Amino acid sequence: MMFTTLYRLIKTGFKNFLRNGWLSIASTIIMTLTLFIISIFLIGNIVLSQGIQTIQDKIDISVYLNDNVPGQTVLDMQKELSDNQNVKIVRYVSKDEAKQKYEEKFASNKQLKESLDDSGGNPLPASLEIKTYDPNKISSLLPIFNENKYKPIVRKVSYQENKDTIDRLVKFTQFIRTVGWSVAALLIITSLIIIYNTIRTAIYTHKDEIEIMKLVGANPWFIKGPFLVEGIMYGVFGTVASLAALYVMLRLLVNFLNGYFGTGNIGNGVFGFLLQNLGTLIILLLATGIIIGGTSSTVAIRKYLKKS
Amino acid sequence: MIYLENITKIYDKSKKKALDNISVHIKPKEFVIFVGLSGAGKSTLTKLITREEQPTSGKIVVGGIDYAKLKKRDIPYLRRKIGVVFQDFKLLPKKTIYENIAYALEVAGISGKTIRQRVPQILKMVGLENKKDDFPKMLSGGEMQRVAIARALVHEPKILIADEPTGNLDPKNAWEIIDLLLKVNEYGTTVILTTHNREIVNTLKKRVITLRNGKLIKDQEVGRYALQ
Repeated sequence: MMFTTLYRLIKTGFKNFLRNGWLSIASTIIMTLTLFIISIFLIGNIVLSQGIQTIQDKIDISVYLNDNVPGQTVLDMQKELSDNQNVKIVRYVSKDEAKQKYEEKFASNKQLKESLDDSGGNPLPASLEIKTYDPNKISSLLPIFNENKYKPIVRKVSYQENKDTIDRLVKFTQFIRTVGWSVAALLIITSLIIIYNTIRTAIYTHKDEIEIMKLVGANPWFIKGPFLVEGIMYGVFGTVASLAALYVMLRLLVNFLNGYFGTGNIGNGVFGFLLQNLGTLIILLLATGIIIGGTSSTVAIRKYLKKS
Repeated sequence: MIYLENITKIYDKSKKKALDNISVHIKPKEFVIFVGLSGAGKSTLTKLITREEQPTSGKIVVGGIDYAKLKKRDIPYLRRKIGVVFQDFKLLPKKTIYENIAYALEVAGISGKTIRQRVPQILKMVGLENKKDDFPKMLSGGEMQRVAIARALVHEPKILIADEPTGNLDPKNAWEIIDLLLKVNEYGTTVILTTHNREIVNTLKKRVITLRNGKLIKDQEVGRYALQ
């Protein structure tokens, strides 16, 4: 009996969906738009967070050293830094290593590489690369470099650039989040209202049928069920349509970027990332869609089928 | 079977007494006719029995169920024990005769197998087995009312309420419906008929309860039409 009832009410819900015509289409479109925007902000959010993480994982401070300084002094400073509570790692980068890194970094750029060769010898300084636990407390380390014994060996301390970039990225992310969630909230409310009205119309269209159902002692779920199914269906169709739209949009974006940068490998990264998180994304969108559709129909059913 | 005790019904909107202190007892397998002009309270009375409305005061017990203690979720089960037909038939125009009757079983969660057995039986009983694939608009008024009766009987109810079932029918069709109701009553179903058709009331020689302005003015074992 349970199964028969379930089958019949899903069938009826599907029929209602088809018979509702333009209203069904409008509801599906607004649901799709809502879920599409939500998914874009979700993905944007993840990308930005990962970007911040990547930058934060980079070196916090680089201490460039003068050439031909006593090795012992460098070791002393390295030890003093290592002993600091906020310091995770201190690594010594020799002049040769610096040159090697430079050459690797600019392997594809002949001009820059040649400029290094032309200079004769190695103009790049040795340095200490410091990774801290909390990049915001970098200033506590600064007095060390100003100590009299270390002052002569330090050529330059570089830390500000990363911090600024991170600060700007964090601010940008917060801004995107605020805008994103405001737009999403607005669309969710719009969806709720539109689907509520669609279901209300569906109930009105079926009022004779509902009257007869009550008359012949229909199972209450048989009366309410199809409308709930219809509401949930907007969530399911919206998810499918928004994922399709997302795929198309990313395809176009990747094609554009590949053309712009003249490479073909941007797509792999983007789609690999999407594929990796596809399950989570589908579940999230489906849940959001079903909750929106289900809530709208439940409220409409409660309001218009109250009398039994 | 049906006990109505000191029933008063006042609708919220009109503030008028639709029913004023009515007490009626209907025995199992009885055939009872409620007579009254429009607004006398006949329809309110049937709506109280089907639990579409609740009395302002008074007690209703049907088939041993006290309506005051009836839970909302049990109402559908109650309705399956009480078949109802109306003057305007209330058939679904987009469904065939067969589907209209099967629908009453479907929405109650009855299995497809049982539906395929029971619907042809009931169609045969009302004499419409040849019209099962027709749509309501292809039938005469009398035939539509027979479909409505078939639908009302498909749950094998103990009580059949016919609220002005002949109101839209010519005399010939009206009598066919009355004959069908008598047949249903013979099979053991309690029948409640509301009407203001003088000829039907006087010919049937059944129990007649007369209502006027919400008050019970006559209850006779073998009654006659008593309104002017």
